[in-house]
Amino acid sequence: MANKRKVKDFLMRLVTYLGAAFSLFFLTVTLIYIVSNGAGLINLGLFTGDYHARYYGGRTESESSCIECSEPETYKGFYSPKYGIALYDDYDRAGNVVIRVSYVDAHSPFSLMQDTNNPSQTASLSIDDVVTRIAYYDQPSALTRNGAEMMILSLESSEDIREITFATLGGGIRGSLITTLYLIGLSLMFAIPTGILTAIYFAEFAPVNRLTNLMRSFIETLTGVPSIIYGLLGITVFIPITVRLNLSEGPNLFAGAMTMAVILLPVVIRTTEESLKSIPKSYRHASLALGANYTQTVRKVVLPNALPGIMTATFLAIGRIIGESAALIFVLGTAVKDRVRVTESSTTLSVHIWSVMTDEPANIELASSIALIILVIVLILNIGVKYMSYVINKKFRGVV
Amino acid sequence: MKTKNIFEIENLSVIYGETPALKAIDIDINEKSITALIGPSGCGKSTFLRTLNRMNDLIPECRVMGSVMIRGENCYENGYDIIGLRKKVGMVFQKPNPFPMTIFDNVAYGPRCQGVKNKETLNEMVLEALKQAALYDEVKDRLESSALSLSGGQQQRLCIARALAMKPEVLLMDEPTSALDPIATLKIENLIERLKKQYSIIIVTHSMQQAARIADYTAFFYMGELIEYGKTDQLFSVPKHKQTEDYITGRFG
Repeated sequence: MANKRKVKDFLMRLVTYLGAAFSLFFLTVTLIYIVSNGAGLINLGLFTGDYHARYYGGRTESESSCIECSEPETYKGFYSPKYGIALYDDYDRAGNVVIRVSYVDAHSPFSLMQDTNNPSQTASLSIDDVVTRIAYYDQPSALTRNGAEMMILSLESSEDIREITFATLGGGIRGSLITTLYLIGLSLMFAIPTGILTAIYFAEFAPVNRLTNLMRSFIETLTGVPSIIYGLLGITVFIPITVRLNLSEGPNLFAGAMTMAVILLPVVIRTTEESLKSIPKSYRHASLALGANYTQTVRKVVLPNALPGIMTATFLAIGRIIGESAALIFVLGTAVKDRVRVTESSTTLSVHIWSVMTDEPANIELASSIALIILVIVLILNIGVKYMSYVINKKFRGVV
Repeated sequence: MKTKNIFEIENLSVIYGETPALKAIDIDINEKSITALIGPSGCGKSTFLRTLNRMNDLIPECRVMGSVMIRGENCYENGYDIIGLRKKVGMVFQKPNPFPMTIFDNVAYGPRCQGVKNKETLNEMVLEALKQAALYDEVKDRLESSALSLSGGQQQRLCIARALAMKPEVLLMDEPTSALDPIATLKIENLIERLKKQYSIIIVTHSMQQAARIADYTAFFYMGELIEYGKTDQLFSVPKHKQTEDYITGRFG
């Protein structure tokens, strides 16, 4: 009998061990996948850089080899004495192969050219630019896929350059990062106060009857509604409103933030209400017995104690904003922007992932990098919230 | 010399939903004295206490009938100023329940809620209340530390100070020492005896010794009825009712 109990106990434990091992395994594999794919692209330029490269075309004057040009002491890649530039093979921020400029001599014909797109203007090649093509009259064009060395060799052997096509380095996520921050700020600005007020109403003032119970279960149901349905709401309500008000012409950041706020409301209300309810009745009774009225009790005793809960709600909300993509694809748009305007469409980091994955070919490295950035942001937020509730607990409650 | 009454209660009944908690209570409570309410659990003594500052209003299905006259005014009349009543009638609860704020803020809570903003006035009120509650000497150096860092007995005296800061006429105490050790209990009992010079004190207690030690008057409740009420020494030495005698001799309860 005792043996049978022992076996049963062992089996029960084994099941929990296995469950824990499975969850940990899958979580770790996901993490390893994201880190191994995405870590390579992470550098400062990714955060600060434009996503879209700006392309230029330049035409040099004929017979324009550089006599005064001198070879620099150090340079990356390969140097062309004839034209006074050095080129090297590199990857852009999104991980694509490019040929970049590591040196341009002040006397190089490429430092002052006629802009072929805009003949009255001048164009100049500068360090860090990406050279995509050099076309010649007397030989085939040199292209990115042939590499920097071939491009230099073709330059050296050519007498007559037709056009050089070059661009700024693209692939950065600055625009999406800014949009994400805007979206967090704007939607929290609407969702947190409204949600907290609603939660206070339901937890403190609402009578307990069939109607309010119905409303409560309504809100609870709304937390489980797929966000794409809220996206439809954004399309049919918020975008037309902004268009009517002549603020925007289509999907825009403001409408996105309003949609996000609606998505967040049920979560904020539920979490805040729970934290309000968890505050001991004895505090309220003490306050009321001291001749405080109900509003004073809520404001001075209940709310300060609910602060850690409210912060948890805020954190959950921010996590939700960062992770949201389905609803925003409709309301905020999918075109990655470098210059973010509240009244225009742009992408958050998550939608940026969606965008690069629907490109042809899909850019898994960049997607993983952004995923990694999102994970780090969420981690920092998590630690921040824990630290803040620790501070609040210590300051206001004297307990840790 | 005839003492004046602070409370005159007539035909008071309280019902929770369908369950009667108090049945037709008639009792007059003397001012500037200690009145103890004793009786077995569930006899209605705490319910009675809470009708005196209308804390029963917080229980949705609770109904109160009859009249509770405080200084000649029925506090259950329509439109009676409940906040004014609670200012006059302070309350100390069974478990010490200081707010999770500093010691100073706890005591200043009541006056602040009444709109006292002047720092000096507040400071005066707080210090006076702490002195009255015999807590000042122990906390004078750490008024800005959390009230939760105090011991249980100190917390309860803080709650008394918090109630006293409102300058009430009556202090209701719902088993204020049941969560405390004997030494802390003794301190609170001494405090209560000193406070009766200025305040009318009504205390619910489970300890008959405590009632005998400190109370001037004792009321015995049983099954929602007031069985016996009188001077404490008389009630304990020559109880008029069999149930009172059984209870105080420990035959039940």
